[in-house]
Amino acid sequence: MPIRPPLRSHLRPLLRPLLAFGLVAAYLTGPCSGASAKDTGLIFVSNEKTNNVIIIDPKTNKVVKDLRTSRRPRDMHFSADHTKLYVACGDDDVIDIIDVAKLEVVGKLTTGSSPETFGIDEKRRRIYVSNEEGSSLSVIDMDQNIIIHEIPTGAEPEGVFVSEDGHFVYVTSEVGDLVHLIDADTGNVVQDVVVGTRPRRFAATPDGKELWVSAELSGEVYIIDRKEFAVQGKIEFLPPGMRKSDVTPVDLRITKDGKTAYVTLGHAAHVAVVDVATRKVQSYILVGKRSWGLGLTRDEKTLYVANGFGDDVTIIDLNTRKATVSIPVGRIPWGVVIDD
Amino acid sequence: MTSGDFGMAHVGWVKAHFAPCARFPCHVGTALRAFAHPTRRGWKNAAALLLALAFADIPATVVAQPAPSSPPPATAAPARQRVVIGYVDIEGDPRYEPVRAYERLVLKTRDHPFPGAQVGIDEAQALVRVLNTEFALERITVKAPDQVAGAVTRAMMERGIKFFLIDAPAEAFKPLAAAVKGREVLLFNVSAPDDSLRREVCAREMVHTMPSLAMSMDALMQYLVSRKWRDMLVFEGPLPADAQRTDAFVRSAQKFGARIVARQKFKPGTDPRDREQNNPALLSAVRGDYDVVFVADDAFDFVRTVPYHTVRPRPVVGSIDLEPVAWHWTWEHNGAPQVNSRFDKKSGGRRMEGADWAAWIAVKMIVQSALRTRSADFAKQRDFILGDAGFDGNKGLPVGVRPWDHQLRQAVLLAAPYMVVESAPVEGFLHRINNLDTLGDDEPETPCHLNK
Repeated sequence: MPIRPPLRSHLRPLLRPLLAFGLVAAYLTGPCSGASAKDTGLIFVSNEKTNNVIIIDPKTNKVVKDLRTSRRPRDMHFSADHTKLYVACGDDDVIDIIDVAKLEVVGKLTTGSSPETFGIDEKRRRIYVSNEEGSSLSVIDMDQNIIIHEIPTGAEPEGVFVSEDGHFVYVTSEVGDLVHLIDADTGNVVQDVVVGTRPRRFAATPDGKELWVSAELSGEVYIIDRKEFAVQGKIEFLPPGMRKSDVTPVDLRITKDGKTAYVTLGHAAHVAVVDVATRKVQSYILVGKRSWGLGLTRDEKTLYVANGFGDDVTIIDLNTRKATVSIPVGRIPWGVVIDD
Repeated sequence: MTSGDFGMAHVGWVKAHFAPCARFPCHVGTALRAFAHPTRRGWKNAAALLLALAFADIPATVVAQPAPSSPPPATAAPARQRVVIGYVDIEGDPRYEPVRAYERLVLKTRDHPFPGAQVGIDEAQALVRVLNTEFALERITVKAPDQVAGAVTRAMMERGIKFFLIDAPAEAFKPLAAAVKGREVLLFNVSAPDDSLRREVCAREMVHTMPSLAMSMDALMQYLVSRKWRDMLVFEGPLPADAQRTDAFVRSAQKFGARIVARQKFKPGTDPRDREQNNPALLSAVRGDYDVVFVADDAFDFVRTVPYHTVRPRPVVGSIDLEPVAWHWTWEHNGAPQVNSRFDKKSGGRRMEGADWAAWIAVKMIVQSALRTRSADFAKQRDFILGDAGFDGNKGLPVGVRPWDHQLRQAVLLAAPYMVVESAPVEGFLHRINNLDTLGDDEPETPCHLNK
């Protein structure tokens, strides 16, 4: 991927409206022009081994599109207006940009070596992406498509969380058993905190006080107090009939009211439902093998779980806390996002 | 000068080099080796590395080189601690000679697992700042297995090194165990699979990160039995190692309810008078059927002629085609591709193998012990390693030290040339506490009881 040279600054104000016009035009004339770019409700599943994003219509639970991407698509995030979907593709060192209305790859951003997960700061037009092979966090200028900064991290950085005000970025190092706190303004690691073995992903409580991080191999979720940047507690899991060593938590979500958390338990083939206030596990929901990625609908009534070793996605009705159906997708599904 | 002095002098240096100094320990180790053994290549290395040392601010304890001129930072940070890990190997160790068909036809190259240890040190770089502790390797190369014990004792007494990776054949371990008995030291056996080290030598100061033969054969047997391939034809080679492997395989067959149809000794060669012993077709023409042919051939010579030459069309396992290994370059789960990739870079393009993994995990265990105990105190670190801690071995279930014989419990991979066919413990083989203990000597089976 060639890096596009920065645009001349005097051209940039002219180009923005042009680009916007182009998008609107594409939207009006595109093949999906009947559908709205927003709130389609479509489910997007990235598949590591088949290099595609499978798109499912939640009303029929049918696959409506098999979208080729660059190789090894993993983490996905929508732009704030949901017109674009960004997909980190680990084997091509790019983030693909998907036009949500057209369901086509319309561009690419260059990253470091083997991008895995990322966070977007829309205000500063920046993407922070962890480079699994490069042991670094790349800071990408989304408009210029250039890496403006490369921050060294511990080996195998994974989870990325950008603070609400954009001033701090939290990154896990899977090998270092660390969470780095990075000052987004200076690009320096300002502090590290030691957590459990092989830390993977983050979820923040809506009150901004706690950051939860999954520790895959020690089978725990650590709770970091964001003000003190210190471990404040941890949650352990043990679904019925499982052994502690089967429990390998990866993805997690916290509901908007800050009351409930959902945690995938990997090889233990369950999703844990946690009461956030008491930090107690309320129930376990049976899903597929090596459950990793989670997608939660906006109404928080449905949970989608990517089963890495089942090549399918399990749909959970959160009212009954039961799996309703599993839909085959690509090989090694990694993550789920929902356009709603 | 003790190793502790170095930390004080180099506080500033490490800070400045936090991320990119990954290559530091290898300069030290290789340089030491080069000085110790002035072969032609060694001197060349030494010269090249002296240059590297000049740029890398190598400590005065290792090479006469002044401390960096830049003063320590104004803020009086506490002295940085340093954990030095000795890596002991033997020059010309025949286990690392290339396997050749003829002089110019190399079938397998084999190398010391030193780069595995280096990858472990590199991974610890991110922790230097958290722990205020740095980790380094010191490579000590001796001329023969009987010199290992002396080299370890000297490094222990003179330089205060307490952790060692021992890359030596089995015969080095008995005198070594006697030399360190009761001492404040922990030795990691990273390349000798011999069961006798876990059973008869049975030393409190040792940890075996390489899987034992018993574990490997149990792993292979679990897989065969899980496929309902229960009838085994066994070909045993002429070397003592072949007899050991075969004995272990037969034991595993008894353990998991498989049957040895026949145990045939082979004799490599083409002498027609020995054809009953050197022709795989004749060797495999036994009374009764069998599901699998197991071959124990440490020389990797005769075994090459077995696949496709048996009388019946049967898979061949053991020393070829399906081999139980501690690690394989094609393992793609549990974050293994990233470990393989770091190893590939460090070793200059070599594929990571079992002993490399054993060296890597040994360093990782030492680093974890410092991280989790928040200490550079040897006794605390040792107790943590020998306790019930689980470590991330990037092959499934957390690995940990068995308290009875100090063998590292771990998954064993069953590798075909281009694919890990299965990882043992195979699904369905259950243990009352930890399924990893279905492989090798479980507590009731072992004659070694270090925990009692």
